[in-house]
Amino acid sequence: MNKDLLFNKFNSGKKTLLVFLFTLVTCFAAVAQTRQISGTVSDADGTVIPGAGIKIKGTSTGTVTDVNGAFKLAVPDNATLVVSFVGYVTKEVAVGSGSVYNVKLAPAVSNLSEVVVVSVGYGTQKRTDLTGSISSISAATIAKLPVTSVEQALQGRAAGVQVTNNDASPGGNVSILIRGTGSLAQYGNSPLYVVDDYPLETGGINNINPNDIASIDILKDASATAIYGIRAANGVVIIKTKKGKKDGTVVEFNAYSAFQGKPKEYKLLNAQQFATLANDQAANDPVKQFTTLAAWANPQSLTNADWQNALYRSGLTQNYNISIRGGNDKIQSSSSIGYYDQKGIVIGSYFKRLTLGINVDYQPTKWLKSSTSAKYSYQDSNNPFGTGSLGNLAQLPPTLDGGSNVTSQISDGKGNYGFFNPVYTYVAKYNNPVYGINTNQYKNISQFFNTNSSLEATLIEGLKIKTAAGITIGASNNAYFQPEDDRLVNQYGSQAGATQNAFFNQSLNTAFDWLWENTLSYDRTFGKHTVNFVGGVTEQELTNNPFSGSGVPPNAQIRDISQVSNLKLGTTAQNIQSLASQFVRLGYNYAGKYFITGTVRRDGSSKFDVGHKYGTFPSGAVSWKAKEEDFLKGVDWLTNLKFRGSYGEVGNEGPIGLFQYEAQFSSGSASTNSGNLGYPFNKVYQVGIAATSPENPNLRWETDYQTDIGADMAFLHGDLSLTVDWFNRRSKDFLLYIATPPQTGYTNESLNVGSMTNKGWEFALNYSHATSSDLRLGAGLTISFITNKLTGLNSGSTFITNPLNNPNGAVNLNGQGWTVYSETHIGQAVGEFFGYKSLGIIQSQAQIDALNANASAKTNGVNKFYYQALTGPGDRLFADVNGDGVVNASDQVSLGNPQPKFFGGLNLDANYKAWDINLYFYGSYGNKILNYAESNQETFQNRGFVGIENLSQEYYKNAWTPSHPSNEFTRIYYNDNSYLNSVPSSQWIENGSYLKLKTLTVGYTLPGEMVRKLSISKLRIYASTQNLFTITKYKGLDPEIGTQGGFGTQNGIDNGTYPSSKYFTVGLNVTF
Amino acid sequence: MKMKKKNITLVAICLFAVLMIPLGCKKDFLTQTNQQYSTATGAFTKSQDVVALVNSIYDSYQNSDLMKKSIWYYANFFTHDWYNDGADVAWNSYTISPTFGAIDTFWKNAYIAIARANSVFDIVATAKAKGVVTPELANRLMGEAYFLRGMTYYYLAGTFGGVPLELKPGGTGLTPRSTQDQVFAQVVADMKQAEGLLLSKSTLPAAELGRATKGAAYGYEGAAQMWLKKYDLALAAFNNSELTSNYHLMPNFVDVHEFNHQNNDESLFEVQFDLPAGASQSWDGGWQNGGEIAWIDDFSWPHEISGFGYDYGNPGLWYSYQAGDLRKVLTIIGPGDEIQSPGIIAKWGGIKGYAVVQAGFANNVKDNASQTYSSYKGDDDKIINTCGALRQPWYGDDLTRSGYYCAKKWRDPNLTGANGDSKIFGSQNQILLRYAEVLLDRAECKVRTGDIPGAMADLKLVRDRAFGGTAPAVMQDGLTYDGKPTTPITDPMQMVLSEYRHELSGDYSLFYNLRRAGGTTPGQVARDFIHANYGTTDNLNPQPYPYGPTADGKLHGVWRTSLPVGHDICPIPQPEIGLNPNLTQNPGY
Repeated sequence: MNKDLLFNKFNSGKKTLLVFLFTLVTCFAAVAQTRQISGTVSDADGTVIPGAGIKIKGTSTGTVTDVNGAFKLAVPDNATLVVSFVGYVTKEVAVGSGSVYNVKLAPAVSNLSEVVVVSVGYGTQKRTDLTGSISSISAATIAKLPVTSVEQALQGRAAGVQVTNNDASPGGNVSILIRGTGSLAQYGNSPLYVVDDYPLETGGINNINPNDIASIDILKDASATAIYGIRAANGVVIIKTKKGKKDGTVVEFNAYSAFQGKPKEYKLLNAQQFATLANDQAANDPVKQFTTLAAWANPQSLTNADWQNALYRSGLTQNYNISIRGGNDKIQSSSSIGYYDQKGIVIGSYFKRLTLGINVDYQPTKWLKSSTSAKYSYQDSNNPFGTGSLGNLAQLPPTLDGGSNVTSQISDGKGNYGFFNPVYTYVAKYNNPVYGINTNQYKNISQFFNTNSSLEATLIEGLKIKTAAGITIGASNNAYFQPEDDRLVNQYGSQAGATQNAFFNQSLNTAFDWLWENTLSYDRTFGKHTVNFVGGVTEQELTNNPFSGSGVPPNAQIRDISQVSNLKLGTTAQNIQSLASQFVRLGYNYAGKYFITGTVRRDGSSKFDVGHKYGTFPSGAVSWKAKEEDFLKGVDWLTNLKFRGSYGEVGNEGPIGLFQYEAQFSSGSASTNSGNLGYPFNKVYQVGIAATSPENPNLRWETDYQTDIGADMAFLHGDLSLTVDWFNRRSKDFLLYIATPPQTGYTNESLNVGSMTNKGWEFALNYSHATSSDLRLGAGLTISFITNKLTGLNSGSTFITNPLNNPNGAVNLNGQGWTVYSETHIGQAVGEFFGYKSLGIIQSQAQIDALNANASAKTNGVNKFYYQALTGPGDRLFADVNGDGVVNASDQVSLGNPQPKFFGGLNLDANYKAWDINLYFYGSYGNKILNYAESNQETFQNRGFVGIENLSQEYYKNAWTPSHPSNEFTRIYYNDNSYLNSVPSSQWIENGSYLKLKTLTVGYTLPGEMVRKLSISKLRIYASTQNLFTITKYKGLDPEIGTQGGFGTQNGIDNGTYPSSKYFTVGLNVTF
Repeated sequence: MKMKKKNITLVAICLFAVLMIPLGCKKDFLTQTNQQYSTATGAFTKSQDVVALVNSIYDSYQNSDLMKKSIWYYANFFTHDWYNDGADVAWNSYTISPTFGAIDTFWKNAYIAIARANSVFDIVATAKAKGVVTPELANRLMGEAYFLRGMTYYYLAGTFGGVPLELKPGGTGLTPRSTQDQVFAQVVADMKQAEGLLLSKSTLPAAELGRATKGAAYGYEGAAQMWLKKYDLALAAFNNSELTSNYHLMPNFVDVHEFNHQNNDESLFEVQFDLPAGASQSWDGGWQNGGEIAWIDDFSWPHEISGFGYDYGNPGLWYSYQAGDLRKVLTIIGPGDEIQSPGIIAKWGGIKGYAVVQAGFANNVKDNASQTYSSYKGDDDKIINTCGALRQPWYGDDLTRSGYYCAKKWRDPNLTGANGDSKIFGSQNQILLRYAEVLLDRAECKVRTGDIPGAMADLKLVRDRAFGGTAPAVMQDGLTYDGKPTTPITDPMQMVLSEYRHELSGDYSLFYNLRRAGGTTPGQVARDFIHANYGTTDNLNPQPYPYGPTADGKLHGVWRTSLPVGHDICPIPQPEIGLNPNLTQNPGY
């Protein structure tokens, strides 16, 4: 290896950059002696491009530019130079008589650039040769948006991929659907992520630093995904991280700081309004049940508790990434360090992440190659107020009772926190959340380590064998401490209950998996025939080891589970899943025109019983490059035309837990309050054991049958490209935890019960054009139309509901009648809202008397009331849909669907000289939102409980009264739960369509001459704003609401999630 | 390193072949062992595991929706002796909805208990064959499973009429309903099995107190035979020496339900609860789920004491006790009555000892703003020591209760209700069957078979205890519900029914026994009996007190709705019909 001049140059010249190790290898090709030319390669704004390739067309002779973007090359007469660099449009330059050639390259804007190589799983293919449907996102695209996670980077960039920020909490809570909802199980629609050839089972995708990503390929149709078999039904996202290049060294430093404004707030009553309202209610209460606190008698004297102001703050995000990538012919390496630190806009919320990444590729001989990748991530995050809890914030009465001892402020800054009077039942259930957030201590650490190493040998031309092994470790360590709380007892004595003990909880979870894969591949062209083959075997084994304990620590210092009293331990059992698979993919093309691909994967999983462990997932696809036909070759306006068609079957085992095939006996919990199966004989507890879940030996994975027909087109010499896909995804045997007749001995069981379809169209349109060397314009549009439909249930039922009994993670909507708010019948799209049809407000007693009389007449006196006995003027009028004279459960109807008719993203790019600008819009059309938060702000009684809660200003000012009638807002009543005005109804269903300007970025790249003096090859500074505006008719805070708790049937419900707000970001990208 | 290509190929192919082989051959790679939950083969390798399997059947009964809101409500609300205040007032007018949640919980828990019992037989047989359990223990465990299955069918059929019979594990749960008689025939069959297998009360180790015994099996067999109108067979069961020798009336009626006399000599079967010292009072399931504690008792206490008061008594029941009947205030306590529970008196000195009473008296607290007097002042303006005062009964915070409360459920001295230090959940067992009921059942059988003197002798046993020695020869209620004089009861069957009422009201039996008495149409005897006692009409609304020292002409939660034909049984829970379309709804619902 020859020593690089530049290394010395750096050592001597630029002390500030000594921390970086540069190695740059320049390949000198042996070239036939002709004449010498020289020049530089730069981009449109004059920034030099080191490492750009210059080749003499038709030969293998060439060179690459040095760190200053300069090259020298000996060329024969009449040669043409082919100048290329990744991320730029390859340019051909005819060599004339001159000896200096300064070449400017235009950046490639298209995601679908012809040269792009696409990961297809166990190999790559040229995009032009694909038979399946695959969307790709490049590093350049990701770099434009300050995102925390990979999922956010996918939003709007890939057709058919619906990405929703479920809430805006630090660290992100994102749901992703590739070609619709195919499963109803919790988190049953997550795609498989394959990072650097490693199918990620342990640790989430947010452990991957978006800055390290070189490419994302999203495999959508069954032909593309079938190679991942039983895990592929929700699509496969293949991520490759950046590697070192053979020639040259690049050091990159990227940093940004983002200021995040406070979110929009609900407009609620202040203390004075609230107390006045409560006093009015008490005065008008006919049975004198409702009383107010003595302190409320004089509203003007009250301290206002503005909960939103107390909980929200402005946020700050800092993100730093530094990487060094380079290498020589034999060794290429890449290492990166990233640090992300976000202080959230809700107090106590933050997300910190340190990521380290190394990629090393080593090719000691022509036939042997190794590749090793290692990634580490450390996360420290917290969101103490919880995501859906912010809706509860709006319920809190805006005035506190400090009693005589403390303070009536939320916090007086001296460590005292106001509280709600525990003796006054109407506010007794509330707590001051700021107290908990400020006094409880949290530490939630999670670590992730993944490494994967492969060894590949080329046996004969085109024939390679490869063995790859890797491991992933995920470890989380969460601690929570809550100090002893005797404030209320001090103030009110034993009436307020007992002193709340201190509490300490610690949980550790270690997850581990290993992977071993062996593949054999063959790829060769014989004349007009090209064949490619890959086959292999793979094994993966996942081990999960939970541990948690909690109890009362001996004092406020000790954080040691072995010293707590009232120790409660969580499950500590180790559980293991194993997967063993074989797969093969065979491709053939004739003359680069006709392509055919067949794929089969046979997956074995320990999740299933003997005899059912293996599933086979076949697929096939064909494509035809029509443009290559003689009759189109000469058509100048058409740059590319290709048709594709595929069909295949893939599986989804994700929703299925371990050992569900066998009956499981358990003794329940040790609690004396609930869940145990034992019994006290002679007042001494004896353990009980019973089968708590039934055997289900026929349990199967969910299967998707997908047809895809697509076309890729390009016009205007490639400036404009269009990809269109039609697909029909039929999901069968989806798994549902359903109620079973208890005569079986069980009330619920997970069964493969139903089927649904997702049919749709996807469009991806890209335009890029350099009008001059100074100006380049680009646009990218993706639009997806997906129609989801429940097509069958074999459980005997004709519909499915939202998850019942509040399973872990589900949204808990309190209130009379809110048990079921979604009911999807066969033929409808999943998540359909369900409830009463509101016709406005009852205006007079005569009106309700007539309705009641009619009810009595039609039911022969069985039902004397139209709706409720209490219903009177000012109450909501619901429709008697079935005309039986009364409004009851059978009058509930479908109210709309949270799934959009279409959604998409629009990217607009422009570069002018040193300036670049990017606008990114994301929108969704036709989705409905269930505005539970609004319904909550239109009830004075606390939902489902004794007590009262705060209201919206709008309701307060417009509520129905005899002198101020309204046809929208009901009357206010302290006991309004029993009036059942706020049950799920059309009143709370709103149009959720929106168009958001997600990002607006303006960048400026400093002139090359200026930065070169600093040995910097490129320095770009930019300013960006996120969530600048949203166009929507939705009345709530933010219409971007996804699924909650991972349930497809809990979609589009606004119960007050962590709100999004505007970000203002400044950042810089430096390349050395 | 240089290597010839041929060699490379050879080495590589060999290597590849070697790599592939272990993967293909490790057949057990996809077989994992569940380390968190046992399988049938993993568990039941020790005798205590097999015992634990049987324990889990008992556990199904530790559910307040099943115990209180289904069996107790049915046994007591349907007689109009007691009413609900709260969410379940439909019981007061016999308009229970098929969607009423508690009966669905009852159904679910009952069938889960039955399925657990059904799972016992094979597992115990296997364990016995393997020597894991001794033959003696195997017998007892099988006996308990038969008993608990039979008892569960007893309450199911008593409440719903015929229900599906599930007698083997692993069914689809789609079995249609059997007839009521078929179900009671199954109860008889199960109890007969249990009689042969269970331990006698006399040999049951003290540590196992609470388990089913031979005597309990005879008790339920007899009752089931009565449902089948096989009174001879019922008598045979009731006369078995397992019953007659091992169980006795407690000498003092007050002790029957006392907290410190749980599992007493009179009790045939009671559901056990336990609140270990220092255990949590948290609400995370003390009502619904399989815990060890229950809210059943102070659920019934006056709102003024407990903050609850979700059921209360009919003053008419209070009036109806014959003068001198000690059971009166030990069953239903009303304005002016001091509590008589020795346990409560020992702990609190009576009602005046509760913290809420003392603080309420000191602060002049009124449970309702429109009250004239403090809730905690007696008629003499001193601290109250009675269950409300005559001038202002404890009507509760919404004035919708009668002022009369169940004294059988007011015995646990550890409870305070939702006041003070909030001891809500307790460990009072719930007696499902006791010897006094067996004696009354036997009296009915004797009446039915013409042995009137025998019947009178059995009644006398119960009545003598009720009157603290010797009962008056003439059986005559105190006053009618509307305060009128009564006439002596002379019809033997009516005497039995009256004794059922006065002995068992507030227990878990009364309406079951009344309905079992039959009649020309289903529930006719019960309907007539309730009508005779309360002058019922078709009115579905609460009525003002017709009579009483506290009658103020206002509504205080007394219904006098006639028992409609068909509504003598509960509706089949609607969700269960949804899950098993082969279930038919009871006519009239």
